[in-house]
Amino acid sequence: MKKKLTVAEMIASDSSHEEEEDEAPLKAKRSKPGEAEEGEPVCRPVKLSRNDLYRPPTVEELNQLKEAESLFHCSLLKMQMEELLKEVTLSERRKQQIDSFIQTVTTLLQAVPDSPEVEVSDLSWLSSAVKIPFLPVPKTTKGKFHMAPPASVDLIGSYPLGTCSKPRIMVDLAVTIPADVLHPKDAVNQRYPRKRALYLAGLAQYLTSSSDIGTMRYSCLHGNRLRPVLLLTPPDTSSFTVRVHACPPPGFFKPSRFHPQRNNIRTEWYTGLQTSQSESSEPPTPHYNSSVLGDLLPRAHLQFLSAVSSQCPAFADGVALLKVWLRQRELDQGTGCFNGFLASMLLAYLLTTHRISNTMTAYQLLRNSLNFLASTDLTVNGISLAKDPDSTAPSLAEFHNGFQVVFIDPSGHLNMCADMTACTYKQLQHEASVSMQFWDNPTVDGFHSLLMTPKPMIRTSDHVFQLCELVKLQSSCKKLNLLSELMDHSGNYVHTVLPFLLSLLQRGLGQRIHLLTHSLTPDPEWSVDSEAPKHKAQPPLSFGLLLRPELAASVLERGPPADSPKAAEFRQLWGPRSELRRFQDGAITEAVLWDGESMCQKRLVPKQIIAHLLQLHADIPESCVRYVGAMVDDVIKTGSEVSSTGEEESLLVVQSYDDLSRKLWRLEGLPLSITAVQGAHPALRYTQVFPPLPLKLDYSFFEREKISRSLVPKEGKPCPAYITPITVICHMEGSGKWPHDRLAIRHIRTAFHIRLGELLKNDHNYTCRPCPTHLDVWKGGLVFRIQVAYHREPQVLRESVNAEGLLVVRDNEEAQALEMATIHKPLLTSTLHGLQQEHPCFGAVCRLVKRWLAAQLFSDDITEDSADLLVASLFLQPAPFTPPGSPQVGFLRFLHLLSSFDWRNNPLVVNLNNQLTAADYTEIKNDFMASRESLPVMFIATPKDKKVSMWTKRAPSVQMLQRVVMVAAESLKVLEHQLMDGSQIQDVRVVMRPPLDVYDVLIHLNPKQVPLLSQAVDPPAVNFSRGVTTGSVAQSGGALPVIDYNPVSLYLTELREAFGDLALFFCDPYGGTVIAVLWKPKAFISMPFKTSQVSARSVEVTGEEVKTVPNVEAILEDFRIMGEGLVKSVEARTEKWSF
Amino acid sequence: MAPAKKKHASSQPCIIPGGFTVLSLQFSPDSAAQHKVYVKEHRVRAEKSSHRPLDRTLFVLNIPPYCSEAVVRELFSQFGSVQSVELRDHPGSFQESGPKLSKFFRPAEKKGFKVGYIVFHGSSSLTAAKSHPHNVPLVVCTEQRPVRTGVQKWIQQYTESFIQSDKLQQIVDSFMKDYDKRKEEEAERQKKEAEQQQEDEEGWVKVTRGHKGTKARPHSEAANQRTLQKEMRKKKRKELMNFYTWQHRNTQKEHIAELRKKFEEDKQRIALLRAQRKFRPY
Repeated sequence: MKKKLTVAEMIASDSSHEEEEDEAPLKAKRSKPGEAEEGEPVCRPVKLSRNDLYRPPTVEELNQLKEAESLFHCSLLKMQMEELLKEVTLSERRKQQIDSFIQTVTTLLQAVPDSPEVEVSDLSWLSSAVKIPFLPVPKTTKGKFHMAPPASVDLIGSYPLGTCSKPRIMVDLAVTIPADVLHPKDAVNQRYPRKRALYLAGLAQYLTSSSDIGTMRYSCLHGNRLRPVLLLTPPDTSSFTVRVHACPPPGFFKPSRFHPQRNNIRTEWYTGLQTSQSESSEPPTPHYNSSVLGDLLPRAHLQFLSAVSSQCPAFADGVALLKVWLRQRELDQGTGCFNGFLASMLLAYLLTTHRISNTMTAYQLLRNSLNFLASTDLTVNGISLAKDPDSTAPSLAEFHNGFQVVFIDPSGHLNMCADMTACTYKQLQHEASVSMQFWDNPTVDGFHSLLMTPKPMIRTSDHVFQLCELVKLQSSCKKLNLLSELMDHSGNYVHTVLPFLLSLLQRGLGQRIHLLTHSLTPDPEWSVDSEAPKHKAQPPLSFGLLLRPELAASVLERGPPADSPKAAEFRQLWGPRSELRRFQDGAITEAVLWDGESMCQKRLVPKQIIAHLLQLHADIPESCVRYVGAMVDDVIKTGSEVSSTGEEESLLVVQSYDDLSRKLWRLEGLPLSITAVQGAHPALRYTQVFPPLPLKLDYSFFEREKISRSLVPKEGKPCPAYITPITVICHMEGSGKWPHDRLAIRHIRTAFHIRLGELLKNDHNYTCRPCPTHLDVWKGGLVFRIQVAYHREPQVLRESVNAEGLLVVRDNEEAQALEMATIHKPLLTSTLHGLQQEHPCFGAVCRLVKRWLAAQLFSDDITEDSADLLVASLFLQPAPFTPPGSPQVGFLRFLHLLSSFDWRNNPLVVNLNNQLTAADYTEIKNDFMASRESLPVMFIATPKDKKVSMWTKRAPSVQMLQRVVMVAAESLKVLEHQLMDGSQIQDVRVVMRPPLDVYDVLIHLNPKQVPLLSQAVDPPAVNFSRGVTTGSVAQSGGALPVIDYNPVSLYLTELREAFGDLALFFCDPYGGTVIAVLWKPKAFISMPFKTSQVSARSVEVTGEEVKTVPNVEAILEDFRIMGEGLVKSVEARTEKWSF
Repeated sequence: MAPAKKKHASSQPCIIPGGFTVLSLQFSPDSAAQHKVYVKEHRVRAEKSSHRPLDRTLFVLNIPPYCSEAVVRELFSQFGSVQSVELRDHPGSFQESGPKLSKFFRPAEKKGFKVGYIVFHGSSSLTAAKSHPHNVPLVVCTEQRPVRTGVQKWIQQYTESFIQSDKLQQIVDSFMKDYDKRKEEEAERQKKEAEQQQEDEEGWVKVTRGHKGTKARPHSEAANQRTLQKEMRKKKRKELMNFYTWQHRNTQKEHIAELRKKFEEDKQRIALLRAQRKFRPY
């Protein structure tokens, strides 16, 4: 149509340009997608020739296809796993490197020279370049020591077994200490561990002189300070590490000595005080025992595992997958972890007990082991690999007495999960069961959530807190009376006190949480020439809470009745906070009442509980607890007296709307009846960033309009407070009386607006203002914008009669926009309103997310509705997480989703109301693949919109999406870093301040004329009076206020209309005082003179050729003129322009 | 930025190839920068409507957004008295809009750069405009003729958007009366047409499409489609499936082909992901 019109002009002006013009837009169209797809390959529908598809299948191929069909959701998963395995297994080249380095190290170690015998505590034989990797507490111990070449050097652990995988390739090398260095009684009083440390130091001293070793550091096995190891890397590469363990000769100690009930550290020796305790009354030292015993058995374990794995061809692959799974969940490293060794042992257990068969694939091994973990509680029913334990081996019950988690090795003496806390095992179980759930769900991309998505604690747990000064835990040991446990852990007070803290918190938080997790202390590493770091030197302990949203925020902790025997227990737990209370049902019970008025304060009740309990029972002052639960919430906080993140205000708006809706239904005297009243505004689904507040107006601040006596902004005064109209769609009954013509329908709608306004005025005394498009109702300090809708109107807009008199139905933008406003938006609003009822923090997450988008100037690219949908997807399809339970974690996951989702190759399916089935998912995916290039770059499918992604049709563009992704990734990094590390500068607003240096022109606005100034990320110190007074708000009546008058958005609209094809305009709608302008890259290419493309351009004549370029000076001048009174200054950063 | 010619002949009109004369336009007398407005007599091969007489209409390009019709009229009245001004977003032939609408019902105007058709009373004004010297700019906002922009304009706009409900009701009523009348006329016309198809004196009937009274097929695209589909379905029902051996074999073959195709697709997807290094778990 447009084409036709311009041609007429073209003939008149210059026919020579005609051809060019015909070509130019076509070219542009063609080049655009091509350019966008450049660089990376894209998925195109496969085209197989007929011959390929229909050639007769071979038996092998048939089997393969059938297997893929029946075993997996699709062959994709199988292939994905195979690819993943390729990524983590070691290459042949790497193996050769390792082998040759091991060879070198072994020969070196064999040649360790002897040294004269000295007392254990005498360290004079060591040079100053090497320190002993041990914290000698207490200082003295008996015994003699001398260096001697090792009895043998063997490979142990994952490398010889073939389960070693990338990254962090660790090759374990066991060096057997010769028998004459040790004494059979060395197991007592840390003599053996000390000798072992000395032996390692001796090895290190010898190896420092060798040039074949790159770096040499100490570490300790699983954070256990009694088991130091020596880390060696080759000089040329650091891609793998050799871990040297020093071990006693096999069978040197009798395993029965290390029974979990036996004592091997004497109190007298440990405390240095004379006590009259006999050996039998000494406290058992199960952890110490198992740490010594662990050194005796690695070779036996290797033999056992080799035997098992040789039976099962997929064993190594299964372990590799399990290790990847564990690593993504941060469970495979640190003290008390579930490491690769335990993973192998678990598979071995399942194989030996015939729960899985030897012929299964790696995929099945992973699935079965997760299933086993999810269904078996090792904290209650331990498992044992011992087939026929000898009579001296302890029983399962004895193990359970000594340890929290029990998994016994083939010898029957060692608990391999000795250091694991019950909480870690519960976390493992939780992860396994969550994984099983979404694995079975065909609508989830199982592979990705299972093995590819990392789950760091800050993004997994709803609330996180850290204990900062770990030194303070020493006093908790004292307070909790843990001397014997401290002895057992040989002075590591952190690990001693941890299980007690965990059980205390578990008791205190009770029903409020699903799960309490804690970070696993990473293995310390230090160079051989420095002393072993102190226990307090480790990073702060982090704890994660997975909240139960319906109970977590309750301010009341109701205890047992005052006279019941449990009351004492309750009082003991809560101390002075517990008080007797009488409830409405007449019961008098013990209870604890926490502070919290608004939702955002109530969400922090767990913080109060934790601080209180730690102070009361463990002597940990509140200053040591760094609670990361609501740090990001600040940016959406409003309210002067009670700080609030908008839940209460939203509720007020919704209540007011409900009241209005009821009144609308009850109206009498309308020619047609109302069939539906629907909200269509973010405030009505709790997701408006700053929900509208009921306002009371100061009339003297305004001018009056002459006819209707409505308020009008006064020139020269600051812009009045912005009043958001809350859109409400009012559907009218269909009837033959409705005309069948677009203009007539519009007029009838206007008549309805007028009539509704009259009725509301008469019945309820609401001030109303009818317009052709809507009716504004001023009700209780809020403005509702009622739009009457007629369900057949979009249809009428689509119909037209063509030249032959045929009635054709053609989709057009007008009809789409109308459907969007009257059908899709209300539907989305009510659906998301439902989601909010299900997940109380949905709204808060949306608000945070939209605040971030707006602050980063993206609110025009990712619209409110699409942002809400993205957040909804976090709640509806949380795999591999659980639905977010706090605004902060939701926000972090949103940033992660935005930055890590593969927008190019995947549609994001938001399964609202669970309406989509697996078949629908496939259909959506196939449709998407088939026409990827013509679809929006950010494709969001919903049950009502499977094919077009209507919410993201207009925006964002490829370039903008790229930028959003980049900024999201950066924000996530900065934010997580800040939240997890207390030593960083604590200012979460950093992620809300956009980098302005990329823009070409900055238009600074006069803060006086920016009505939402107080909502800015960094609110100004001074604000202007905006015609609002405090006091109670009248429910009805009063003059109509200034509605929807925002100079900034009016200005932006004008700018975009005038210069939209030359530049992009960005602004933070919530109190931003700067408009950032970015020239479009193509705007400054000089173009031939065309009547349709001369807007804001000046001409350049060279001979007969006329070219046009943008008239920049005039444009900058226009920015100033069009924003007269609003614009403070226009800052053109000409130095950046490159044209 | 200005064309090179200008420097030599400063008080001359600046005419660029293509026949346009370049006029400068600035917002206020002290503005630093100027917009270039391009004018030319309106000339098309077939101008049907009488709204733009060929000899008296000036075609103006690149009118800045703050120039309303009234402002443009004022600006160009220095070349002769102006009969009418028409501002549009794009150049194009005159469009007859439907029934006259009150300003409250018209769709919101786009406030970008405009194209103008200015009809003068006399054809001499055209020449005057075209020979206007380039270095004498047209000034939009002077003291006698202030043009409001920015906050002032928005406040004015806001104030003007008010209309009393009884006035609005009047507009609606008059439109609907008009509409009803048109509807009636339409009905009348159709009835007349129908009458024409009655038997004339000699017993002849003029047969046309859509005879009133006969049950003709509904004349719309959707109906056409529906009939087509019905036919298709009928055809399909008559077909026999899996009846002959070859048919059975064919379905099996199709199944394998399907699996194969899926397999290939997956393989391709994997290859793609591998190329993007999507299998590195960390």
